Amino acid sequence: MIKVNDVSKTYGKGDNLFTALYKISLEVPEGSTVAIIGKSGSGKSTLMHIMSGLDHASSGEVVIGGKTLTEMKAKQIDAFRASEMSFIFQAFFVEANQTCFQNVMLPLEIAKTPRGQRKKRVESALRAVGLEEKVDALASTLSGGQKQRLAIARAIVNKPKIIFADEPTGNLDSATGELVIDLLFDLNKKLKCTLVVVTHDNELADKCDIRIEMKDGEIISASNSKAKKEVRRV
Amino acid sequence: MTTRDIIRRSGRSLKSAKGRTILTALAIAVGTFALTLTLAASNGATAYVNKIINDNFDPSELIVTADPSIFGQASTSSPKEYDPSFGTGVSNSGATTQIKKITQADIDTIAKVDGVASVREDITVNARYITREGQKKYVTTIASYNPAQKPDLLAGGLGADFNGAKLILPEGFLQSLGFTSAENAIGKSVVVSIPKNFSPDQLRAQLMAGSFAQTPEQLAKSIQDNADNVVFTVAAVSKEPATSRPGTELYVYTSIDEARVLNDISTSGGADFRKYNSIYVKVTDGNKANNLDATAGKIRDLGFQVRTVKETQEFLTNIIGVLRGIVAGFGLIAIIASVFGIVNTMYISVLQRTREIGLMKALGMRKRDIGRLFRFEAAWIGFLGGAIGSISAVVLGIALNPWITKQLNLSAGTKLLIFMPLQIIALIAILMAISIMAGWLPSRKAAKLDPIEALRVE
Repeated sequence: MIKVNDVSKTYGKGDNLFTALYKISLEVPEGSTVAIIGKSGSGKSTLMHIMSGLDHASSGEVVIGGKTLTEMKAKQIDAFRASEMSFIFQAFFVEANQTCFQNVMLPLEIAKTPRGQRKKRVESALRAVGLEEKVDALASTLSGGQKQRLAIARAIVNKPKIIFADEPTGNLDSATGELVIDLLFDLNKKLKCTLVVVTHDNELADKCDIRIEMKDGEIISASNSKAKKEVRRV
Repeated sequence: MTTRDIIRRSGRSLKSAKGRTILTALAIAVGTFALTLTLAASNGATAYVNKIINDNFDPSELIVTADPSIFGQASTSSPKEYDPSFGTGVSNSGATTQIKKITQADIDTIAKVDGVASVREDITVNARYITREGQKKYVTTIASYNPAQKPDLLAGGLGADFNGAKLILPEGFLQSLGFTSAENAIGKSVVVSIPKNFSPDQLRAQLMAGSFAQTPEQLAKSIQDNADNVVFTVAAVSKEPATSRPGTELYVYTSIDEARVLNDISTSGGADFRKYNSIYVKVTDGNKANNLDATAGKIRDLGFQVRTVKETQEFLTNIIGVLRGIVAGFGLIAIIASVFGIVNTMYISVLQRTREIGLMKALGMRKRDIGRLFRFEAAWIGFLGGAIGSISAVVLGIALNPWITKQLNLSAGTKLLIFMPLQIIALIAILMAISIMAGWLPSRKAAKLDPIEALRVE
């Protein structure tokens, strides 16, 4: 369960004060899929960054699985992210001059997974995204869709509880994008992990259990829930 | 991340920027190359000095002189007062100078000093020539054999029976004196002609015999011919001097008792009769530094100049140390210059990998580990540079050693460049440490990078 309570984020001071997020509150049940949609500058990325501990809230708190993220020290947040979360980005961010194996290995190294388990887990993650043939291929030789699948393999290898996806289909053509989305939802069901997607894509948002629409730092609508600014399981 | 993972990742990221890495490493390699060769040369020189000392001197002996100028400690810029008791000597520049010598009375005094086991004069006699029946005459110098000397022998031996009119013939004389081989020379007789001073009686006799009628040439010849011819038996043939003191390569050595006789012949009636530039004083239990120093102090208190073999060794190695310092300084400057290269390269690496750093941070990699990743990368560059520089120095050194030995006329088997693996490993370790320091600022920049900003880069 992710709980966001009254989170605000402001930049600057005095006349230059800019409010990126204003008193955001929401709840995401474990295993559900959430889409955060909105235009550029609506604050959806900032919200995702605060939920994942990459950014600090100016006020309010984020509680994940009973742990208050906003009270943790940087070191603890890092460890928490390494073990419980992972990310998928619009621009893939795979290391082109490393092999698929090495790319997927990264989160295991960061989380200090015992050496003996690594190979097996990398291979099963690559199998889950259908890249088992490409274990030793350089990431630079992959197509866009394959690169995003590789990024997904990297995101699931650590068996995270939450996957944050920032515009996962933004750099893909619609057919490939659809395949990637199907894969994500499939994995969500199989691995029972929470999926938080930040997107422009309405079609993608409609597939999610919860749909949160943002504008100017505030939530303007939250479907699958009657109450505004608060989301409950359907 | 575990250290092993960090080392592997940093190595891999260097591999992906081969050109840049190798060029930066080459800058370090230049300095390392110079330092490795300097170290090797000073190792070689020190070993050479030690070998010379050990092959020529007994470490339990003290070298004692009466005149500080022999150890190069006296000022030569101010005039010295004439002293009729002084003997004559020749300074390094070739000018005749007065040298205070050690007399028989001095020897007797020193022999009584507590802790002195025995005293041995250092005798060198300028013979007129050495020859053999039916052969030409060759200039030579006869010196007293010091039992501490360990010349490489081609034939013969230097046992307890090396006494009396026996000598060690340097290999260089073999052919000149008509010997077919070193073995051939053993036991054969050679003649050494020792010049004598004219005694007052001899002069009187010459005058009485009407020497005034002699031409100056005839007079000179009669003076020159005033010599004793001593017959020696060749006891051993020494190899082309491996490590004997420079300048003594063609010295012919004879036993101390015979050398005393020759010295008396050549100095009798002159100012230098039974006076010696230096003597060797053997100290009881002189292998212990305490005994050596205590006895040296007592002899010093009597007004003599004393130097231990160790001091002589240190004096020579100090000179080597200074030279090494100068060359090593240049190597260090090269390495300091290359440090800026590392800083620059590491900054570029951080810039190029902004996204990767952002990703790793997003995936929960700790600040400390990110910093370490880049510091290890710098260490790899240092290692590469160190390895390239030292390996090429070793390869070049091994290839050049025979040539250097030949050029400097060192004996075969002597190496001027001695590479010590431990030294090279230490050098590389130091380079890695320096590189890590050079990578510190860039690595801090990487560690401090804001992941959100870093991931915004498209």
